[in-house]
Amino acid sequence: MSAAKKPRQGKLVQDILINGTLFLLVALWTIPTLGVLVSSFRTRFDIQTSGWWSILPHKEWLLVEEFDIPEGLDPNSVMEIRGVRGTFDDFRQGIETPDGKQLIWIGNKRLGRIQVQELRWTMRTAFTLENYRQVLAGKSFELQTPDGSIITVQGDNFVGAFLNSLTVAIPATVIPILIAAFAAYGFAWMRFPGRRLMFISVVALLVVPLQIALVPILQDYVKLDLNGTFLAVWLAHTGFGLPLATYLLFNYIKSLPRDILESAFIDGASHFTIFTRLILPLSVPALASFAIFQFLWVWNDYLVALVFIGAKPDVQVLTMRIAEMVGSRGSDWHLLTAGAFISMILPLAVFFSLQRYFIRGLLAGSVKG
Amino acid sequence: MKSKKSLWLIVGALLVFTIVLSACKPAPAEEGGEAGGAAEGGSYYERALAGEFKGTVVTMTGPFTDEDAVKFNNAIADFEEKTGIDIQYEGSKEFEASISIRVEAGDAPDIVDFPQPGLLGNFVQAGNVVNVLDFLGQDYLQQQYNQSWLDMATMEGPDGPIMAGVWHRFNAKSLVWYPKKAWEAAGYPIPETWDELMALSQQIADDGDTPWCIGIESGAATGWPATDWMEEVMLRTTSLENYDKWVAGELPFSSPEVKKAAETIAEIWFNDAYVYGGRAAIATTFFGDSPTPMFEDPPKCWMHKQGNFITSFFPDGVKAGEDYDFFYLPPIDEQYGKPWLVAGDIMAMFNDRPEVRAVMEFFTKGESIKAWLGTGGALGAQQDVQLDWYGDPIERKIAELVQQATSFRFDGSDLMPGEVGAGSFWKSMTDWVSGSVDLDTALAEIDASWPK
Repeated sequence: MSAAKKPRQGKLVQDILINGTLFLLVALWTIPTLGVLVSSFRTRFDIQTSGWWSILPHKEWLLVEEFDIPEGLDPNSVMEIRGVRGTFDDFRQGIETPDGKQLIWIGNKRLGRIQVQELRWTMRTAFTLENYRQVLAGKSFELQTPDGSIITVQGDNFVGAFLNSLTVAIPATVIPILIAAFAAYGFAWMRFPGRRLMFISVVALLVVPLQIALVPILQDYVKLDLNGTFLAVWLAHTGFGLPLATYLLFNYIKSLPRDILESAFIDGASHFTIFTRLILPLSVPALASFAIFQFLWVWNDYLVALVFIGAKPDVQVLTMRIAEMVGSRGSDWHLLTAGAFISMILPLAVFFSLQRYFIRGLLAGSVKG
Repeated sequence: MKSKKSLWLIVGALLVFTIVLSACKPAPAEEGGEAGGAAEGGSYYERALAGEFKGTVVTMTGPFTDEDAVKFNNAIADFEEKTGIDIQYEGSKEFEASISIRVEAGDAPDIVDFPQPGLLGNFVQAGNVVNVLDFLGQDYLQQQYNQSWLDMATMEGPDGPIMAGVWHRFNAKSLVWYPKKAWEAAGYPIPETWDELMALSQQIADDGDTPWCIGIESGAATGWPATDWMEEVMLRTTSLENYDKWVAGELPFSSPEVKKAAETIAEIWFNDAYVYGGRAAIATTFFGDSPTPMFEDPPKCWMHKQGNFITSFFPDGVKAGEDYDFFYLPPIDEQYGKPWLVAGDIMAMFNDRPEVRAVMEFFTKGESIKAWLGTGGALGAQQDVQLDWYGDPIERKIAELVQQATSFRFDGSDLMPGEVGAGSFWKSMTDWVSGSVDLDTALAEIDASWPK
């Protein structure tokens, strides 16, 4: 009996340890996001003056009674107010009375007043949708017309930038995957001279930072009159994404069972038929997991879009719109919270819809069987 | 198998969708037709108003975005309508980085708005910038601008000095903001001299409050408000010649003049009884949030020195002239008068075409900023700006004071080379304020970073 019970107990401890650690890691990762989410529903003043956690029930000193400073007190010496003694600095900090309340001096020595406060359970529940309204519908600005009257106009909203981001992100994801899949098949299953050398040079490109390519590419785009077009940024993202895509897909396609391909060859299938009928369907998990990577990278990209399509309102992408939203000097930083969550919606949707492929893609190739 | 087919279907549909999206974008406007037959002669501005450049496009870029960009576009809308020139402004938060890339790649916009003349100086040196005097007369410019502005726009090009651009809007920095209602209730006086300012600081401290709200945190630009303070005190404790030499790198930071300025600031900044949160809080408080305690009831701090743009950071609902007001940061040494520290946007021209010249000339006229002044957020640098154009009484008052100023100088850190003015000066001041290095080391570090 006891011998059978012991391992079960050991397993329980192990489970608790593992789950506890996992829970802790998840909490560490998600709490900041939760904080941003909560802050996105609070006014700028609230964010400035209290932490987002103050929406949770907590104990705080709350005003019970307020009265003027009694006559004849000298703030520069030790004072006695309602049976409590202390200096001005002590009262500024707040002095606890024997019955559990607190006397606190508000204001300066000449114009101050005394508040009686009590420690009570409280939570802040003042939420607002104003941040989201401003982000989604645009801020309103006052403008002067040539005849001198003042009109109010609505600023840019998110919709155009959201569509622009889609326009950039989808082809910039699909094009490199298509090219990389062909390349990966070629490197994995076709024999031609210089194959190894070419593959090594592709992998070597992984370590080249894209920043060094910005100026030369832009020079070429200016010559080709491509700058500021979506095609420019699609090509740029394709180029920057290809090495990683080729390398990932190569690893996956290489691990496909040789038998299937050989039987296809014996049946007289061409390389193209094998690629479209066998390789592509079998590689969906790898393609999908790379698609997630590339889509998130392009969606969150600021630099490449800034350089190649610029910030003109009719072509600017979401990241640029969010950066602009805070104003020239950053006075509307509180809108970033709401903006971040709106821009997060699509990547989250992409991730969750492709998640099952993603996990399969990570595992695939790791276990031979 | 079915699900895979539908996946490809979705991918295909999305691709078609985005191609349609990108096709929907308006095609870039064609270069306008020939302006044949229009009257020759007259300035480019007049020729533009006569419709000679109808249908042309002038591209612009600059650092201001959002509300400022909307107001700028509104201010120039009337000109665009009358002339048929389409001015396409493109604001970017990463302007400093992107303009260098674009100019280097040969993709410079026609006109660029520089808030930091030091950065423009680099392009002038490289010979990228068109000399304004090529098409605008010296006499005309002298009539449109105070001489100080013209001096500040003159920069050294590869073939001698050129007028690198024209000034558009500016902001004034020598302002101390205070919470008016509480201020009057407490009976504090407006200080007229530095001694009065220090006495007032002591009086507020004696009353049990901290007089100053100071914060210099600003992300990668942390420390810039400290450089403004240095410049203010430099203008008030030494001659304009010395200030200009200092900005040009001829008067080192380790000289007694600069050191004295820093020590003057330290009397306020490093006195924990004078600064809200104490010296330790200065480097960690966001500059935009630092005046907020001034608007609590009762105020936690009473004075905040910052340019006129800071009002956009004040809490929602506080009213100019009622809840807050400003006074001029008092002079220290009487012999140097009442100098003003200003900053502003200079418009520089990178591509020379007639319509671009017309737009540049337009910017030298108060007309180009009039509608902006009406709703606040800018001050006009042009001489023909009328005080009654200002819709904001505070801004009108500032503009009036600057007009009467005995002298003014541009924000020194914006004129210094980027390595110093947007680098070591910020960083070393922050290190000094946070106490990680002493003053001599900090100043020596700035000197060492000056490009040879």
